Formats: sequence, C-alpha cells, structure tokens
Amino acid sequence: MNKVKEHFKRLLSNIGKWFKSLFVRVEDNDAKLLTLYKKPQTKSILSSLISIFIGILLGGIILYIMALASSGISLKAAWDGFRLIFIGVFNTGRNAQGKLTFGFNGTNIGNVFFRATPIILTGLSVAVAFKTGLFNIGAPGQYLLGTATTYIVALSIPTAVVPAWIVWTLAFLAGILGGALWGVIPGLFKSLLNINEVITCIMTNWIAANLVTALFDNNTGVYKHLLDPSPTKNFAYLYKTTYNGVATSKMGLDKLFPGSQVNGGIIIAIVIAVLIYIILNKTTFGYQLKACGYNRHAAKYAGINEKINIVYSMAIAGGLAGAGAALYYLSGNTEFYWSTYQALPTTGFNGIPVALLAYNNPIGVIFSGVFMSYLNVAGLQLKNLTPFNEFITDIIIASIVYLSAFSLAVKDILTGKFFKKRGHIVKIEEEKAVSLKTNENTKDKEVIG
Amino acid sequence: MNDYVIEMKNITKVFPGIIANDNINLQLKKGEIHALLGENGAGKSTLMSVLFGLYQPEAGEIYKNGEIVDINGPNDANKLGIGMVHQHFKLVEVFSVIDNIILGAETTKMGFIRKKEAREKVKELIEKYQLEVDIDALVEDISVGMQQKVEILKMLYRNNEILIFDEPTAVLTPQEIDKLMESMRGFKKEEKSILFITHKLNEIMAVADRCTVLRKGKCVGTVAIKNTTKEELSEMMVGRKVTFAVEKKEATIGKPILKVENLTVTSKKHKNNAVKNITFTVNAGEIVCLAGIEGNGQTEFVHALTGLEQVTSGKIKLNNIDITDASIRKRSKLGLSHIPEDRHKHGLILDFSLEQNLILQRYWEPQYHNYGFINKKAVREYSEKLIKKYDIRTGQGSVTVARSISGGNQQKTIIAREIDRNPDLLVAFQPTRGLDIGAIEYIHKQLVAQRDEGKAVLLVSLELDEVMNVSDRILVMYEGEIVGELDPKKTTMQELGLYMAGAKRDKEKISNE
Repeated sequence: MNKVKEHFKRLLSNIGKWFKSLFVRVEDNDAKLLTLYKKPQTKSILSSLISIFIGILLGGIILYIMALASSGISLKAAWDGFRLIFIGVFNTGRNAQGKLTFGFNGTNIGNVFFRATPIILTGLSVAVAFKTGLFNIGAPGQYLLGTATTYIVALSIPTAVVPAWIVWTLAFLAGILGGALWGVIPGLFKSLLNINEVITCIMTNWIAANLVTALFDNNTGVYKHLLDPSPTKNFAYLYKTTYNGVATSKMGLDKLFPGSQVNGGIIIAIVIAVLIYIILNKTTFGYQLKACGYNRHAAKYAGINEKINIVYSMAIAGGLAGAGAALYYLSGNTEFYWSTYQALPTTGFNGIPVALLAYNNPIGVIFSGVFMSYLNVAGLQLKNLTPFNEFITDIIIASIVYLSAFSLAVKDILTGKFFKKRGHIVKIEEEKAVSLKTNENTKDKEVIG
Repeated sequence: MNDYVIEMKNITKVFPGIIANDNINLQLKKGEIHALLGENGAGKSTLMSVLFGLYQPEAGEIYKNGEIVDINGPNDANKLGIGMVHQHFKLVEVFSVIDNIILGAETTKMGFIRKKEAREKVKELIEKYQLEVDIDALVEDISVGMQQKVEILKMLYRNNEILIFDEPTAVLTPQEIDKLMESMRGFKKEEKSILFITHKLNEIMAVADRCTVLRKGKCVGTVAIKNTTKEELSEMMVGRKVTFAVEKKEATIGKPILKVENLTVTSKKHKNNAVKNITFTVNAGEIVCLAGIEGNGQTEFVHALTGLEQVTSGKIKLNNIDITDASIRKRSKLGLSHIPEDRHKHGLILDFSLEQNLILQRYWEPQYHNYGFINKKAVREYSEKLIKKYDIRTGQGSVTVARSISGGNQQKTIIAREIDRNPDLLVAFQPTRGLDIGAIEYIHKQLVAQRDEGKAVLLVSLELDEVMNVSDRILVMYEGEIVGELDPKKTTMQELGLYMAGAKRDKEKISNE
C-alpha cells in the first residue's frame, strides 16, 4: 500500500515539475512554452489563428453595421449572429424564450467534416502545385472532370454483377484519373512550350465546364441515360450514386455525429493529406518536385528532368482535385446538377485560400479546410436562425477568408519584421540576441559580407 | 568631428547564430576613396547594408557631418545623399537604361514623366564622367559591365555624395576594371566620397586612400594606403601570412579524359554560332585553362559540355564514351563534375537547407534513400562530414538555409559537393569569382589537389592572375574560337592579353579555318 502511495507521490511531483518547466526557466532550459513560442512553426500556426480571429471580429462588425442600416434587423439579432459565427457549430437552436442555446450538435459538427472533405483535397491540389512552383488555378476544371468520370463509372457498372465496394473503388480511381488528366494538359503546355499554367488552367476550366454539360445534356448527351427522370428532378440532376447501391462507408462516424451527412470520406481525405506530406518531405520524389519548384535551373543542372516533374506535379494536383470530387459525390447524399457551363464549382477555387491559409503545408490544409467548411455551416446557421439573408452571410464569410489571408503579415509582426526599430540608440538586450537566434526572419535576406 | 562625412560608431548587427558586425567603427572623409577589406563573411556587406538602411543594427549610431541620423530604408539613405551599387544589380531587366536610371526619382509634371529633361541630365552625366552607355537599350541586352555603369549613373542622377560600391570589380573584365578605377578617381575630384568593398588587394593599392579591414565581424583597423603594403593588408585580413603564388608540383600527364571534336554551339541570345568548330583535349593530371574575355563563347561551350544546352554539331567524348547527346544525369554518372558559373542560378537551391544542397547531385544514390524515402541520418552524416572536411561556415550547420550563407561559403558548398563525387573531369567556371584571398587560395589548392590525384581539370577563368598561376596549359578563346594554345611558364601576361583581345592568334589555328 505504501509502495503505491510512494509511486503516486513521485508521479504527482513529476507532473508538477513538468508543469513548472512549462512556465519557469529550469536549469539551462528556457521555459518550455517560451521555447515553443520561439519555434517558427508555432509562429505560423499562431499567426493563422490570430488572423482568423481578426477576420471573425470584422465579420461581427459588418453584422452590426447591417443591423444598424436596415430597420428589419435588431441589434440583438446582430449579437446573435456574431455568436453564431464564433460557435455556430455548437448551436442547438432556440429555446422557448427565443434565446440561442448552445451544446454538442452532432449534426452540425458532422456536416462540417462532410463539407470539409472536398475542400481539403482541392486545397491540397493547390498547395502541391504551389510547393513545386506552379499556380494551379485549374482545380475547378479538374474537380468537374473528376465528378464526371466518377459518376460515369459509379452508375455504369451494375452492382448486381460487380460487388459495390469494387465499383466504389473504381469510381474513386476514375475521379482521380479524370482530374489528373485535366491537370496534365496545362502541365504539358508548361513543360513543352513554356506557356504559363494560369492561362491554360483557366482554359481547361471552361473546356471542362462545357464538356461535362455536353456529356450529360438531356437531349444530346452521351450519358443522358444517367439523368434522374423523376418529376421532382426533371432531368436536371444525375442519379445519386446510391441508385446503383454505391456509397462511401460511414466508418462509424454517423454514430459519433448523428443526423449529419458525414462519412468515411473525411478520413480518406486526412490520410491523403498525410501521404502528400510524406511524399513531399520524406521522399526523393518530393525532393525532386520541390527542387524544380524552388529553382528550375539548379534542378536541371543536377540532372533532374524538370520538364517531366512539372507534368508529375500537375498530374498529382489534378488527381487530388478529382479525388475531392469523387469523395463528395460518392457520399450518396449529394446531387450533381449537370448544366455546368455557366459557372465553375466554387469548391475548386476555395482550394486557393485553403492552401494559402495553411502556408501550403499539407497537414495545415486539413485544418484550414475544416475551418472553411466550419464557416459554411456557421453561415447556414446564421441564415436559418437570424434575419440575415444568405448573401450577407456570404459577404461575411468572404471577409473572414480575406482577412485570414493576412496571416503572412501577422507572422511578420510576430517575428518582428513588420515594425522596424526606430530611434537612434537601441541598447542590445541579451534576450533579444537569444530570441534572434531562433528567429528565421532572415530567411529571405542574404548575409554576404 | 566634422572632418567626416559619415561616421559609423559601435555598430552591432546580429543574425541567427552569427554576429555579423561586432562593435564596428568606420569614418569616411569627404572626397576620399575608402576601401573596406575583409574575407567573405567578414561583415562588409552587412555594414554597408546598415549604412544604406537595409538592415537595422542592434546597437550603434550613424553620424552624417557630425549629426546623428536615422536611416530606416534606402529612401532615407537617398535623402542623405548615400547611394549604393549592389553586388547583384537591382535593375529592371525589361526596362530601358534611361527608365532604370530615373526609376524612383522621376521628374513629373501633372503625373506625366518629363523624360526629356531626364535624358539631358543623364547625357550630361555620361559625358562628364565618361560612362558610355546606350541609354535606349534594354538592360537585359547589355553586358554586365554596362549594367554596372547604369547603377553608377543611377547614383549620380540622384546627386548622391556618398557612393558605396559592393564588390564592383567581381564581374568585370580587366579593361572594364581599369575604366571603373578611372571613374572613381573622377568622382574623387568632384569631392564625392567613396566606400569601396573589395577583397582584391591590387585594386585597393591602386585607387584607395585609406582602408578599413574587417575580420569575422570585428574591425581589425584602419590604415592609410601610402604607409602599407599588400602583404600587410592581406595579413590583417586573413589573420595569417598568405602566399600569392600557387604552390604546385610538375604535372604528371596521363591518358586523355575529355575530347572535344569540331564542336559548334548556337547561341540562344544572338542566333549565331557562339562556339565555332573547336577541337581540344584535356588529359588526366593537368589543369587546362580556358582563358578569354567574358562573352566569347565560354558560357555556351560549358553549357554544351555539361548538357545544359544542345550541341549544333561536333562531338564530345568523356573517357572515350560519346556524351554529345547524353543526359545531364548520365554525364554526371560518367564522372563529370561541374562548378557552375552562376552559383545562385544553377549551383544552389537557395531555399533548400545546406544538407539538401549537398546531396543535390547524389540524392538518388542508394545509400541516401530506402525505396525512395530519404535516409535522413545518412544525409545528415554526409553533410556533417563535408562541412568539416571543406570547412563550410554557417550559422546553424546542416539545417542552415542556403540563402543565408555568405557567398564564399556558398561557393565552398558547391565545391565540396562537386569534388567529393570524385569525378574524372572537373569543370570549374570562374570558381573564385567574388571570393576573398583566403577562399581563393583554398579553392586553388583544391583544384591542384584534384590534378595531383590524376583528375582532369578544365578551368574557365577571366582573371589573368588565376590563368597564369593555376593552369598547366592555356587555351585562349576569342569570338567562339580557340585562337591560341600557350604554356603559362613560357608566356607573359601581355602576350596572353593580346590573344584574349583578338590581336594575336596562332598560325596553325588560322590555317584550320
């Protein structure tokens, strides 16, 4: 009994020491929290969080201005709206007195993850291209083509003959391939003819938009037999993939978040993000891709075939966008409106802020993707529970995203690069010198001398 | 105190892991040429960047004419009459010369640029200081020497009184250097003060009045040039005695390694042949130097040899294997190492860490990866080994970002990487460009060591000293042709100069045409 007590005591004192070391300098080591703060990664994450926070505050201000400007909206509604943007996902509706109530809302949280799935993947698509020196603005087109190929495979192979999981896998792969093909086209133009990928990406976007419409057109489309003729749909939508018994496994997530649309897609998306992180940072293939991205000439000098690497990079980027489309539409509860020639899917474009917010870090993209979809769901709450209409909601979301992109500036402030020291005599402080050592703020300056 | 136009007092500037400037004092008199001497990484450029407002010092003050001033950026510096020619020029390549000169200091009337006035002013300056440039040419079309003149004109156009030159001669041909020296003397007559960063002692002796020497971020002292010698300056700079001559034994020449046969290469820039039908051999155990003034086809030749550009006609053989159309990777596997001309463009990936740069030519070798996954431990060990062996000095060792390493150590990184691959043929293009005496001595020793190990070394150089001291055989290139083959022991600098300028050529070479 005493032994157990003794053990317990030691354990407690160890925990106590550990906590102490977090805040206080122990022997030669700085307080752990301080060391953590000085790490460049911490600053990146912190600056993203701060700019998100500022963005949400700005959203709140817009809400108040809207409330003041229109007679129909009370200030109380603005306050409600502000709270909804902040923690709308935990909203459980209004109580009998008409006050907002908060608590665990499985439906909302699940939906956040469900909507995050495709955005994470398009974010990855843009991030991979950025890492290799390319701007993939073609994600919407790749996403569309991935949608088309996924649907064609998922609905064309009868599950009566082939097991559903095989059809699902084939459809998923088809989505990746479709997207990859659409990424390869600008990649080839860039590598063989040195045509800027932004131009070709925009063109492939619109080609995809018209091509997909042409494929599923209810009069002349080759795949018009995949359209749902039921009176409510009236040939405007494709059949859901569940029509053929194909849907992503829930992987138990529906039990965790009851009432939501969430499925295993989010887990697949996270696994893909981790894979991309490993490929980029741990493999020779990623090393080559990054070498080409940072300095094409040096990569060529080192015997790396920089032309083929551009194509690889765009193929991966396209494949990721295609995977996003496949996971979104294979969920079984989403519908695809075939007439796409007038507008490109926003999911593709949203990949750009998602990637930027995460500093193109694949792991970071998981979080920024979830954040984007969180805003979407919060926006829905705003629309449903307050007098603000969906357009105001969109403006607010846009301003939050816009402010979030300021994270680079916030990072500069954190690393002391933003405000240069003024004044004639600046005494050197010991602490400054120490903190400078750990800063990476000279990363883009040369120290020649 | 008012004797000095600029006085920098107790300047301290700290970078991660390195104190670049440690309590440095510098005084610049009116109308003097003041040289700033030091090895690479000694803190010369940092100090000048502080003066130009690019960096904020952690401690110290700057006085102008005895009054304390606050320089927070190049604009402040400009207002105080301080101008700077950077080592890597800051020009807009697609703008014309005149546009570059007036950029940022345009005279405008109601928002429209008054180019005519500017033109006249620039033309006056050109005439006054004899800085002939075609002011309507695009900057990307003119030579490096011309670009430097544009940078100088930029300073003069802004009526700057204090001119900072950051290693201005590193990119110039001997003739251009002479002209620059003349211009500097002209500025001196105009009572302008010049700060002149360099590590070439000959230039300091020729043109400077006083010289401040920095070593490892500390000020060693300021001396008047009249009362000093080259030897004393170099000792102050390096901290030990330096030998100027390259020590080497007699070459033991082995079998032919590189054979170039009737090689012709088309220039990308001018669409005509940059390399015209050249033939030569480089043998094991010798250093062959390809001498010539910049822009006579050396770049195109080396690009063709190393596979960066395609050959128009002719053959290249390495160890008797035809590599004319081989890929870059294949050439490197067959034993060709290349120290490139432009270390920032080709030599390094500046955003990669030092260790990532050190494995650039061998990351694909089996010991550095397991089934495509980079073997981090092996890479780190290899990088630590090279850092130690080649004395690469950085703030944070293997993980230092290449961009933040000083020029000399960047070059050492490339040399370590290329020599350590144990090549049969080492192609070195201006390997000592922009480096200090200590580093040059080191690199020359490495080249000679390679030769003594029985490797073939092809050195491309624009510097006569280097050509004469290091090589065993000299090939002179002029307008894309090899116009002469000389023995450094039997020739003189004057003769070499005549060949390089195209005033003289070997008879048999002429009959070859």
